[in-house]
Amino acid sequence: MNYEMETIADLAKQSLKDGVDPLVAIEKGLAEGIKTVGERFGRGEIFLPELVMGAEAMKAALAVLEPAVPKGKHRSSAGKVVIGTVQDDIHEIGKNLVSTMLSSNGFEVIDLGVNVPTADFLKKADEVKPQMLAMSALMTTTMPRMAEVISPLKKKNKAVKVLVGGAPVTDTYAKEIGADGYSGDASGAVDVAKKLVR
Amino acid sequence: MSFGIKRGVRFNILSESDLERIHWGTLHILEKVGVQVDSPACRKLLKDNGCEVDEKTRIAKIPSHLVEYALQKKKTSITLAGRNPKYDAKLDLNHSFMTANGNGAVAVDFETGKRRPSTKKDVVNSSKIIDALQNVHIHWPMVSSTDQHPSTVHLHDFDASLNNTEKHVMYETGVTLSDAKTLTEMGYIAAGGEKEYRRRPLSSCLQCTYAPLQHDAGVMDASLYFADKGVPLVFFGMPQPGATGPATLVGSLVVGNAEVLSALTMIQLSTPGAAIIYGMGNAPLDPRTTIRAGGSPEHAISSAIATELAHFYDMPSCVGVSATAKEPGDQAVLEYYTGCVGPLLAGADLMCGVGLLEDSSCLFYEQIVIDDEIVGAIARLIRGEWADDDTMALDLIEKVGPGKDFLAQRHTVTHIRSEFFMPNLVDRRSFDAWSQAGSKSIRDRARDKVKDILAHHQVPPLAPDVQKKLDGVIEKAKKSTWGGESKVY
Repeated sequence: MNYEMETIADLAKQSLKDGVDPLVAIEKGLAEGIKTVGERFGRGEIFLPELVMGAEAMKAALAVLEPAVPKGKHRSSAGKVVIGTVQDDIHEIGKNLVSTMLSSNGFEVIDLGVNVPTADFLKKADEVKPQMLAMSALMTTTMPRMAEVISPLKKKNKAVKVLVGGAPVTDTYAKEIGADGYSGDASGAVDVAKKLVR
Repeated sequence: MSFGIKRGVRFNILSESDLERIHWGTLHILEKVGVQVDSPACRKLLKDNGCEVDEKTRIAKIPSHLVEYALQKKKTSITLAGRNPKYDAKLDLNHSFMTANGNGAVAVDFETGKRRPSTKKDVVNSSKIIDALQNVHIHWPMVSSTDQHPSTVHLHDFDASLNNTEKHVMYETGVTLSDAKTLTEMGYIAAGGEKEYRRRPLSSCLQCTYAPLQHDAGVMDASLYFADKGVPLVFFGMPQPGATGPATLVGSLVVGNAEVLSALTMIQLSTPGAAIIYGMGNAPLDPRTTIRAGGSPEHAISSAIATELAHFYDMPSCVGVSATAKEPGDQAVLEYYTGCVGPLLAGADLMCGVGLLEDSSCLFYEQIVIDDEIVGAIARLIRGEWADDDTMALDLIEKVGPGKDFLAQRHTVTHIRSEFFMPNLVDRRSFDAWSQAGSKSIRDRARDKVKDILAHHQVPPLAPDVQKKLDGVIEKAKKSTWGGESKVY
């Protein structure tokens, strides 16, 4: 495996030029590749930086291939997820890891970044209708922001599942604020997401 | 006897020229790359002092001469006062002090063994335990009072700490300007007024910078306020080698150093001479589990070299130790021992802290006293040895002569007390004696000790009028909805 982060965009362009169906390129090429990366990480054969490199390569190629997919057709995905770190919290790495792991497991991830105001979570959820909304908070002082998102979100759209995480967050706390799932680490988050979005 | 651990041994890991290269490299980063400063007040401060500031990216490039100015203005020796003056921790670059770990959100119930969200009662109990222990010198609210109103959790943490230990209290929850104001007010009340507090600050705030190379708006606005009001600060860099910093430990030290020095610069420009402690807690992100590897050898060495860098700047260091273990016992001991011994051998001034597992998030009462024992053993390791008439004992050796023993000698009787570490939890009895006494593990013995402390240790409470005033401040700070203050970027 070569993790062609720098060159993959050119390869993707070449494949389009050669007449490869972009949907086939995504599903038989990229998705298969990233699945292998995810499995090898799960078995402990490769480490986190390699997983992230794989996801970066996939992102670069998708940027070329997705616009070429004919209108009306969609790549198959395990589910659509809106993700972000809550307001007043700029901790990024944990949220990024979950984001990476979800994409490497076939989810379509819309990442709102850090310090995401409650209103922005709600607006995005309304706009893209995700199957799941995922939030991260790393400080005991910002944790209550998650509850602030969940109640109006659930009032409007009962079907959307909510996944929460971050160092101070616990299973008990997640239940208390009405989240559907919680995970203590990024790999676990994928398992929970798969169970929630089925 | 002085308070703290007197050091007589110091390992050298980095050479003087290594430290100089790291310093110059950091200045290069601050000038060429800059740091992201989210606080408009801090950006203005930097701009007014000649920094190149981009309002759109919020990146400030800091010229070397400003950093050098801050390093001249900084304090070399800082006293973190206790409510009881016998617990005054004098950071004089010759003593090490151990702190409690802080701000977890989970506790394992001492009675039921159930893992649950932490409560104010946990803060009360752990404060009492820290007060009773000999080898822990500075207190942190160890967990959060999650059973209190969300907008006042950290105020209850501080309140429970002030009331249940006479040792200095360092918190890490002053992350917005309004938090800073309330926490400062509470500190002043406990000290008996601003003048008394400024003379003997019985609380301080540890502030984390955000790796790589970022300063949160709320944290920095709060810090400017704290410095102005005489509250000592720690700036604590936390790049994770291999994730939010380079995988090389020295590379991550450069990233953390740029964060700490830029924070120091902002504070010294705003309040020259403010008490700032140099903090760093670089533990790698475990590349297999994505968990922060607290208590790893890399964490220990990162803390040790950060201490060497702090001392290169003539600043007291504050470095971290933690554990990824899920329960007290073998793994927790291995991680805490590794994490403490490295930095303490390198001369760490403040070592934070004992008693939390799952990377500083879960409180086990038993672990607090086990860690106290670990620190006791390490204190003996770093005391140092020297040869003089008394320690050489030539007269005594001559007197006893060949073939006899040294047991019934006055020299032996007096020196045993100062020379030997007397363990509390390590069991050195024979197998028979140990099994007859119930074959207790170190965890069982720790449990007995915790029971004893909670049943018998008395901490003089704050005066009733002081308590009443603190309650009033907390009540006033309660907000009906969460998030009274949002940060401006």
